[in-house]
Amino acid sequence: MEDELYLENIDEFVTDQNRIVTYKWLSYTLGVHVNQAKQMLYDYVERKRKENSGAQLHVTYLVAGSLVQNGHTCHKVAVVREDKLEAMKSKLATIASVHVYSVQKALLKDSAPLYNTDYDIVKTNLHNCSKFSAIQCAAAVPRTPAEVPQAQTTSARAGSQPPSDADAVSAPVVNGHAPSAAKQTSQQPKGIMEMFAAKAASKAHDANKETKPESKEAPGVSAASSKPPAKSSIMNNFFGKAAMNKLKVNSVPEQPKEEKEAVKPSVSVAEPESSLNVVVEKPGKKTESVKSQQKDKKSKMKRVDKSDNEEEREPENLKKKRKRIKQLQSDSSDEEDVPPSPAPEEEKAPSPPPVPALKAELEPVPTEVSAGGRKRKRKRVLKSKMFIDEEEGCM
Amino acid sequence: GQDVPVRKLCELQAGERCCVVGTLFKAMQLQPSILQEISEEHNLEPQPPLSKYIHPSDELILEDELQRIKLEGAIEVQRLVTGTIFAVYGCEQDDGKFLVEDHCFANLPPPLPWNGPSADRFVLLVSGLGLGSGSGESLLGTQLLVDVVTGQLGAEGGQSCAANISRVVLAGNLLSQNTQSRDTINKAKYLTKKTQAASVEAVKMLDEILLQLCTSVPVDVMPGEFDPTNYTLPQQPLHRCMLPLASAYATLHLVTNPYQADIDGVRFLGTSGQNISDIFKYSSMDDYLEILEWTLRAGHISPTAPDTLGCYPFYKSDPFILTACPHVYFCGNAPRFQSKLLQGDEGQRVLLVTVPAFSATQTACLVNLRNLSCQPISFSGFGAEDDD
Repeated sequence: MEDELYLENIDEFVTDQNRIVTYKWLSYTLGVHVNQAKQMLYDYVERKRKENSGAQLHVTYLVAGSLVQNGHTCHKVAVVREDKLEAMKSKLATIASVHVYSVQKALLKDSAPLYNTDYDIVKTNLHNCSKFSAIQCAAAVPRTPAEVPQAQTTSARAGSQPPSDADAVSAPVVNGHAPSAAKQTSQQPKGIMEMFAAKAASKAHDANKETKPESKEAPGVSAASSKPPAKSSIMNNFFGKAAMNKLKVNSVPEQPKEEKEAVKPSVSVAEPESSLNVVVEKPGKKTESVKSQQKDKKSKMKRVDKSDNEEEREPENLKKKRKRIKQLQSDSSDEEDVPPSPAPEEEKAPSPPPVPALKAELEPVPTEVSAGGRKRKRKRVLKSKMFIDEEEGCM
Repeated sequence: GQDVPVRKLCELQAGERCCVVGTLFKAMQLQPSILQEISEEHNLEPQPPLSKYIHPSDELILEDELQRIKLEGAIEVQRLVTGTIFAVYGCEQDDGKFLVEDHCFANLPPPLPWNGPSADRFVLLVSGLGLGSGSGESLLGTQLLVDVVTGQLGAEGGQSCAANISRVVLAGNLLSQNTQSRDTINKAKYLTKKTQAASVEAVKMLDEILLQLCTSVPVDVMPGEFDPTNYTLPQQPLHRCMLPLASAYATLHLVTNPYQADIDGVRFLGTSGQNISDIFKYSSMDDYLEILEWTLRAGHISPTAPDTLGCYPFYKSDPFILTACPHVYFCGNAPRFQSKLLQGDEGQRVLLVTVPAFSATQTACLVNLRNLSCQPISFSGFGAEDDD
């Protein structure tokens, strides 16, 4: 008796809850195709009218058709009240479609409440808004973070996001080179970083504490410093990628960071020391690499905050990866920006392949990366030295 | 004719009939000039913005690489605007002015090969969504538009038609003029500290609308006069950081203004309307479609830039010169919908479309790529006073 069930549902919505039931609202609420929702509303209206139970129902219809105006045909799509339905239909030369738009108990003075109802329901279902529609677009797939930098390089304004190694022409050259150069240059900074490897572990904890760590962070970071391979196996998607990226990013941004104006390195140095909120405030000034590095830090703390959100809203994270301002979600996705840099070498692929591939590469790197995190602190002291080193590395 | 000599201005001799090619400059009395504004001797108040700056005393001057000369004669001073390149035929008079007997423009650029689709495919042109205007009248219309395009509205027949929409082009002015308020600059900081620009809310709304569209159809978003991008032409695309939800989809294309693209083998070229409205202000032509056609014949999208319309100072090459004839040439934010199919001498077929501002007219344009026809599509809700 599914028919009866949905009729009862609609009845409940309309009479008991005194709602405005639009076809779209019904489609989302009951999880049915929009055409089916329209049909259901129509059935409901028919039955109620037949029953003549006295409860008054007002119905609005959608009329679409063409009419000849000023010599050329004009397509018109209009929402009309029931009493104006016939008038509208007669105005149109040809009628393309007529269907129930909404059912409600009260008479509507204007169409604003209809809009509000639809707006609310769409807003809560923003990412599924095509699920029940009649048209599906194969191309409309949310980009994975790995593809985003590719898209950016092809767009006119490449911006300063770390493009894939293909982009090596404009200002993002630093970022562009950084990922590719990171591989080669990672060797040099490593020597220095190894010096701080010992301190890195402790520093990691410090950094985490400074950045409002939650318990997960510290283990996450220490795990990162000590055994990235293990980490990669444990955290496969975001966390894993993030960790990998973190490791990568920390080494990568070293060079571009140094190459950028002195301000940035000092800022970035200051960042790990100060709260990560600083990162949030200065997104615009940072280069992607710098930001990603801080994001790594932030991600540590934010990731825990948003851990549950992240898991559920993974697609959202992927989508938001390009947002610099809102770094809340972009951390992990941003770190997935970095996989494109190792990706060219390791052929861009979802987590599992890069993870083992990165693992091997990051064996030496992890220490340096986690050290890199600490290194950032050290940066102040050794900045000059590292500047030269990394410049060489980047050359 | 072939026997008419083409002369440079410096080679002109009085009384000789010849042809001169050059750039037009129109000296206009009412043209807003910064020098006049700050002139203390005149004690003038800044000129209020007029809808048209033409004046009977305007003069035309033709310039080539070396010289300039005043024009008079069989030429409509009011219609032409600064920056037009054209050729005049006539002779120089004794008083130094050039008497024009005839003139002509570059005419339509060479045609492009036609690779259009054989089945019905549509492109929806919308402009002037005007979000953030504070009035909700056009919001239902916008929602209806999105619903039609994404296939939620309409019966099965209508939905299958909508499924043939292969692209949606938003031609500028996605935000309303109301979001441009600059009060925050004049007010004291302590008053405006907690307020955010009106455009922030509007951009969020735009993001949601674009997300709904992007999930079902490729969208090209062009910036317009009131959109958060640079002022000078060519306007750069909106940055994707402003549209976090929608820009995750590969179907969202943020493009420049003016915009040229090949959609399904059909060459589109269009602007968000600043060029046409600028010409409208400085010439006596009133019809946007007429101005659109005129720019096509003159071979230049925006002759008045950079004189009266902000434009990047290109010095090596001018990207606004039309080198090939597009199949669809449109401009956004026109006062009303108009369209015309133009046939050229060399076989060009151009569909000229003036896309009306959606916030005012609730109308969008549906272009059929198969036969280059265009149909307006308008949306409406019902209000307290129902006037059919």
